[in-house]
Amino acid sequence: MQFEENIRVALRGLIEHKFRSFLTMLGIIFGVASVIAMLSIGEGAKRQAIAKYQELGVTNIIVRDKNLSDAELEEVRAKFSQGLSLSDAEAIKEIVPGVEEVAPQSEKSTEVKFADKSSKSTLIGITPAFIKILNYETAKGDFIDEQHYDNGMKVCVLGAEIARTLFQNREPVGEMVKIDDQWLEVVGVMKSKALFTETVGELASRDLNNDVYIPLSTFHKRFEPENELASELKQLTVKIESSDKLMVAASLLEEIIKRHHYNNKDYSIVIPYELLKQEEKERRIYNILLGAIAAISLVVGGIGIMNIMLATVMERTREIGIRRAIGARKADIMSQFVTEAVAISITGGIIGVILGVMLSLGITLFTDVTTFIRLYSVFIAFGFSVIVGISFGYLPAKSAANLKPIESIRYE
Amino acid sequence: MLIEIKNLQKNYLMGKIEVTALTEIDLQIRKNEYVAIMGPSGSGKSTLMNILGCLDTPTLGQYLFNNVDVSSLTDDELSAMRNREIGFIFQTFNLLPKMSSLHNVELPLMYGGVDKHERKDRAERALQRVGLAERMHHKPSELSGGQRQRVAVARALVTNPGILLADEPTGALDSKTGDEIMALFDELHNEGNTIIVITHEKEIAEYAHRTIFLKDGMIFSDAPNS
Ligand SMILES: Nc1ncnc2c1ncn2[C@@H]1O[C@H](COP(=O)(O)OP(=O)(O)OP(=O)(O)O)[C@@H](O)[C@H]1O
Ligand SMILES: [Mg+2]
Repeated sequence: MQFEENIRVALRGLIEHKFRSFLTMLGIIFGVASVIAMLSIGEGAKRQAIAKYQELGVTNIIVRDKNLSDAELEEVRAKFSQGLSLSDAEAIKEIVPGVEEVAPQSEKSTEVKFADKSSKSTLIGITPAFIKILNYETAKGDFIDEQHYDNGMKVCVLGAEIARTLFQNREPVGEMVKIDDQWLEVVGVMKSKALFTETVGELASRDLNNDVYIPLSTFHKRFEPENELASELKQLTVKIESSDKLMVAASLLEEIIKRHHYNNKDYSIVIPYELLKQEEKERRIYNILLGAIAAISLVVGGIGIMNIMLATVMERTREIGIRRAIGARKADIMSQFVTEAVAISITGGIIGVILGVMLSLGITLFTDVTTFIRLYSVFIAFGFSVIVGISFGYLPAKSAANLKPIESIRYE
Repeated sequence: MLIEIKNLQKNYLMGKIEVTALTEIDLQIRKNEYVAIMGPSGSGKSTLMNILGCLDTPTLGQYLFNNVDVSSLTDDELSAMRNREIGFIFQTFNLLPKMSSLHNVELPLMYGGVDKHERKDRAERALQRVGLAERMHHKPSELSGGQRQRVAVARALVTNPGILLADEPTGALDSKTGDEIMALFDELHNEGNTIIVITHEKEIAEYAHRTIFLKDGMIFSDAPNS
């Protein structure tokens, strides 16, 4: 019998037994879909973590002034520490090898007003180095530049969200906003940034899109500190040339800061790269769990297929016997069953892939879990299910085809 | 000689015990003979018929079909033989339930490598022959017992096998439908076919020209019908 004929027999068989074909396919569909969805959840979590730390700069070291109570603050000042300052920045730049840039910043919680609107915000005094270190970009206008900084100009750049709150559809660039008792000209608006939903070390979780940036010089000249004893700076962001110099630089940096602060622990050091590695380690368990669930789905799918095969083995064995009795060769039987299994597995696999992709898109869309589908997961899921489907189709057929025709016909 | 059997024995293994279903069978059947096989239940009629139809193999002894020792044939050759040279009719029809009568009858031709158009043509003629032209597109479940048996007959004769083996073809039918099937057999015999029929009924056996009587797995008598 010809190959083409065999395919026709198999496909006709599938259509003649729609329900059975559908049930068999169901196992494959769910197996494939759940594996893709599971793996996409794991991958999504990984990507999100990486993105988060990339935002902080993976070759950066962040030194934060600790949030201390008034009493603690008095105590460290009494022990000679003046908190984080520009002299720390200078020292780091001079002594630590491999430093590309140091961006100091001061912060203050305040309120920003425009016309009859106002919004709570974090006012951030920065130097032009800031935008070089962090890959932030402006959506409109320009960022604080050297001229603004050197002259202590009364200009500001608004975060995307606060710009929206204050200006709605109006053009903010060129307008004046009022912060505390100061009027500042808006020279730029930042692009929207991913939300920080978790606290990374000492970095308070807040909506970065509500920040307002001004020159550090202006900050120190025009604005009252939150507290008399407040440190000069809130944060130093140190960019290291390459990640292989990161660890050496970090330990030296810590040594310098420690000495400058007379051993007072009034600062904390965050190394995004280290946190990333650590989180990756922690996520491993989560990934193993997801992998296990995915594997279970595949096995359950496989069992589903096997069940249908076993439930129909009597009917199918009789069918094989009858076909053999009227002249089908073993090869004819095998090719019929393998073609059937291949058709079911591949169709089910394709539907499963579509369902899995929709599932993971749905998860991203309707929950706060981010998913990402890697191509390899599609291949794993599809490949495994097709192999399972074909094996379970092939094996019972093989044993039935090897019986004498009368044994197959009489099979019970 | 079309069929020649020498000292044939068939044992079945039931758990650990060997049951002898047939023993010391010697038998010769010429072309165009019309033979009835009779005997009490469990005497080995079906066992013998299944061996004749190459659906089963003997434990001991020789079976020559057209002077070829069947045990020397490969599995594919046996399939081809079942396909082209033997038409087997089961007591329980053994049609494929999800297929129309036409498809069922076409199946042996398909396995015989007959092309699609000729296949359909011949299957239709075979169904016409058994008087089922109007039921071609019905599935077995939509047919009466007699009609199903006629589909089974059409399937057996569609390849022009030359020999028809029928295991109680009328067993599940009333006597009128049974007679119709037997009339068809008579016709086929007159056309030169060899026919072997298992039956319990004397009236059916009388259609044949020779009756072999089995008892306890042995040939008890073998004589022409008077
Ligand atoms: N597959 C089998 N396994 C074990 N024993 C079997 C098998 N098939 C038949 N037998 C035994 O062989 C003997 C002959 O059985 P067979 O079916 O040939 O009888 P029969 O003459 O066709 O009977 P009936 O008229 O009831 O159809 C019986 O004793 C039966 O139990
Ligand atoms: Mg019987």
